[in-house]
Amino acid sequence: MKAVNKAVLKDAANRLLFDMSDEQYDMLLDEFHIIQSQLDLIGKIKGVDEATPMTFPFDCTVTFLREDNPSTPLKKEDVLKNAKNVQDGQIKLPKVV
Amino acid sequence: MNFEAVIGLETHIETNTKSKMFSTAPNTAELEPNTQVQLLDMAYPGTMPRVNKEAVRKAIRIANALHMTIDSTIYFDRKNYFYSDLPKGYQITQQARPIGREGYVEIEVDGKKKRIGIERIHMEEDTCKQLHFSSYTLLDYNRAGVPLIEIVTKPELRSGEEARKYVEKLREIVTFADVSDGKMENGSMRCDTNISIRPYGTEKFGTKVEVKNLNSIADIEKALDYEVKRQSELLLSGQPVIQETRRFDETKKETISMRVKTDAVDYKYFTEPNIPPIQLSDEFIIDAIKTCPELYDAKLARFTSSYALNDVDAKIILSDRALADYYDECAKFTKAYQPLGNFIISNVLSILNRENKTIIDFKVEPKYISELVDLLDSKQINSNQGKQIFDKVVKENKSPLIFKKELGATLINDEKLILSMIDEVLKANPSLPADFKAGKTRAQGFVMGQIMKKTQGKVDPQVANKLIVEELNK
Amino acid sequence: MSYLDLSIREIHEALLNKKVSILDLTKEAISRAKKDTNNAFECILEKEALEKATKLNDTIIPKDNYFYGIPYVAKDNFSTKDIETTGGSNILVGYMPLFDATVIKYLNEAGAILIGKTTLDELAMGGTGTSGHKGKTFNPYDPSHTHMIGGSSCGSAAAVADGIVPFALGSDTGDSVRKPASNSALVGMKPTWGLISRYGLFPFAPSLDHVAYFTRNVEDSALLLNLLSKHDDNDETNSFKTRDDYFKELNSNVKGKKIAVIKEIRESITDKEMNKKFNESLEFLKNEGAIVEEVSMNKDLLTSIFPTYFVISCAEATSNNANLDGIKFGPNYGGKTYQEVMYNVRTKGFSGLIKRRFVIGSYSLMSENQHDLFLRAQKARHLIVDAFNEVFKKYDCIYLLAAPNVAPKFDEASDRLNNEYLIADNYLAFGNFGGYPSMTIPLGFKNGLPYGANITSKPYDEKSVFNLALNLEKFTHLADVSFLNYKDKEEK
Repeated sequence: MKAVNKAVLKDAANRLLFDMSDEQYDMLLDEFHIIQSQLDLIGKIKGVDEATPMTFPFDCTVTFLREDNPSTPLKKEDVLKNAKNVQDGQIKLPKVV
Repeated sequence: MNFEAVIGLETHIETNTKSKMFSTAPNTAELEPNTQVQLLDMAYPGTMPRVNKEAVRKAIRIANALHMTIDSTIYFDRKNYFYSDLPKGYQITQQARPIGREGYVEIEVDGKKKRIGIERIHMEEDTCKQLHFSSYTLLDYNRAGVPLIEIVTKPELRSGEEARKYVEKLREIVTFADVSDGKMENGSMRCDTNISIRPYGTEKFGTKVEVKNLNSIADIEKALDYEVKRQSELLLSGQPVIQETRRFDETKKETISMRVKTDAVDYKYFTEPNIPPIQLSDEFIIDAIKTCPELYDAKLARFTSSYALNDVDAKIILSDRALADYYDECAKFTKAYQPLGNFIISNVLSILNRENKTIIDFKVEPKYISELVDLLDSKQINSNQGKQIFDKVVKENKSPLIFKKELGATLINDEKLILSMIDEVLKANPSLPADFKAGKTRAQGFVMGQIMKKTQGKVDPQVANKLIVEELNK
Repeated sequence: MSYLDLSIREIHEALLNKKVSILDLTKEAISRAKKDTNNAFECILEKEALEKATKLNDTIIPKDNYFYGIPYVAKDNFSTKDIETTGGSNILVGYMPLFDATVIKYLNEAGAILIGKTTLDELAMGGTGTSGHKGKTFNPYDPSHTHMIGGSSCGSAAAVADGIVPFALGSDTGDSVRKPASNSALVGMKPTWGLISRYGLFPFAPSLDHVAYFTRNVEDSALLLNLLSKHDDNDETNSFKTRDDYFKELNSNVKGKKIAVIKEIRESITDKEMNKKFNESLEFLKNEGAIVEEVSMNKDLLTSIFPTYFVISCAEATSNNANLDGIKFGPNYGGKTYQEVMYNVRTKGFSGLIKRRFVIGSYSLMSENQHDLFLRAQKARHLIVDAFNEVFKKYDCIYLLAAPNVAPKFDEASDRLNNEYLIADNYLAFGNFGGYPSMTIPLGFKNGLPYGANITSKPYDEKSVFNLALNLEKFTHLADVSFLNYKDKEEK
């Protein structure tokens, strides 16, 4: 696992497309160390690494699949209603390279 | 060249379901932007995915056609990254448990069959369409969420030609299976490739270069051929091949560097928690496979055996699945299979080619084509008349029997007149009756030919034939 | 006394007997909402609510529909058509959804009247009721505004506890309804995972998220579950099981019911007064014929509940909120590239707390860390759930105090992580790990501040939860308690 320092955290934040104030990074670093020590507690559980990762709370396997019937699509005005930048019936962005 | 090319292909195929992969919005090739969109496609908070049954069935068909092991439990994962065309900030895909694994496809290379290993096949969803202008980009969400099937080969292709044949084979499979129209030109089939080279006989892989922006099957072959040459020249001159992504430039016919690959993007895959595991029953899988339309190889076998068409003609008809279907429909109404094949190739296809149309635009009832073929084959009409009738049939989409009757009205069927003509021929060729009785049936055709010549093809062949035979037998 | 202070069933009867009108009820609720001093509301929907109440006012009230004409509030992370829904975050200010969440739709169809959207910790990620973009939400039980009500469903809890409405929608991912319920003397119900459709609920961590809700008594809770738990195809995780009639099945008979008190959790809560009351309730249950036993569990597992919850929820949350980029909806501050557009929106729109959570979540999903962090937490979840499933094999319910103390003061706890109270303050998340039906009920008061007890059963066994809770109401005498009447009830 990568060692955690402010630079690593800043990089992680930037990859999520935001930035924080310096104080926030300091707080985060503290929290990281706390979480780290708490995660070590998980490491103490006997047999944890041999267990299977659990996504769902219990077996919720289904056999159901949706029939391929199209619904009435949204009206174009509604699709664009909440967007702040619209042109020619489409959402507008600065040129994507 | 003392280098061996090691090529892998990743193909994305748009599935032709009626609704999208996870959203219920229509999946049509609608041109007006943002008119085929549902709430989920806009990634509004609180919207949730619903897996499309038909998309699963079609993926199973392809997996089966590629001889893959099909996973009977469906899981989805999230592939997390940010991009302008990705509304949710993640794509729902199948990373850990693709629906199909470990298959192959056969292509023909230098007259020999070669198996290309397929690593995996999985379902995922498409992204928005982006229209780029000089200073801005416009987003159209119609395509967002369209079902995709991704097929990844093992790096077992060895040349641009093999890659081309592989993609052609894939296209054939997906079109015949009615899963996609497989057209690279309109984006319903997309290919990315990666290629490295190594000295023959070695096992270690060279540096991989990814090539994108391949807009046609021909481009794939050209790009790969270019890459092999470029990489070989680099290595031969002692320079290394840089790991990068290149794009194919169609005008220059070369690959151009796009970006140097640094670290691979970390997609932070994890199981999609909004879709529970879906258990497919054996019946479901079997039914998906059984209801798959006949694939090319099976069709070819059938056309050459049941219809006894020759290989060349069969392949021409099968070059377009819709044309093959049309032939099958016609074949319900006639047993003259080879003449039917000839007629379709010579007459139907030539009209379509002339008018730049495909069989889908050809509105003539298959039954009428068969009737016309039968009329010609049984010599009830001659080829001239056949052409006239065919033109009318195409124009009006009515039975050729109607037009034959009409034509028949202008045909000479006056028995007295015909008899007199026959007598004339027999007078000029007195040996004919004896020849005919001796088994030389050519005599009949000769008389018919003479009468046709004299009447410029206007005599009613049925009536004439009857009288000719009678007279020859006297 | 207003009819608004009665139970839902009693209000319904009053409506049927024309003792009060729908319009008057709604007007009263709106009037109280406007006087709210606890910052419980993102917005009050006066116009829409009065319009609907007027429309329903002269119609015949269906006898079997308990929610017809009843005013309620919903946490502002439920999508409401044409009504601004912010998720308690600046990043969604001005977002007008095009659709209603399924539970909103069900309530709407039943004739219930939504009078407002309530505050929450930003994007439901938090437990103090302080991180929403409207600032702190207070606890009605503390007019000095020193003690919090908790979160993340702070506004919904405050609205019901303050007598504004008889029920409110919330969501529970770690304890976000059950903990505030303990802090404000409410019945906070989180049913089995997948029982109530999550369609239209802004997702925090789908594998842990539940639609949950507040009422002031157990009976109302059962009535509401009947309405909300109808199957919904829009949510593929929504159960296909036939639903029980939770109201019809209600009974307070606990004879022979086996109740487990987890030793290590019990011992982690040290408050003497609360434990005294809790022990008295155990005696009561025994006298009612229940079998009450202390059960020991692996302490390492219990201590791991919080970090396990934290890693999994932050990781899923990071992904769920990647759609918030200002492009399709929400505020947009422009930028020179699409990355800049997204970056500006997300930097300005998310609070510091949320960003810290997202970074931790993202970090734990990174390929080089996933094995040690995210996957390991998922493995720990598995072991924790296995351990609780073992308990449920032999016991009908797990019954414990819901929290280590009454509502903390604002300056005491914070959403900054700390090592104290690891078990006591966070164990409720096991109800989310295993998807267990779990309910907090009011147990008592300490210095005028409420504290509650928690009942949890195995999946789909809502019946055991409801029945034990109904039985305990006979002990607590706190059915229908609110800030308006708790002093009378306390004296009893």
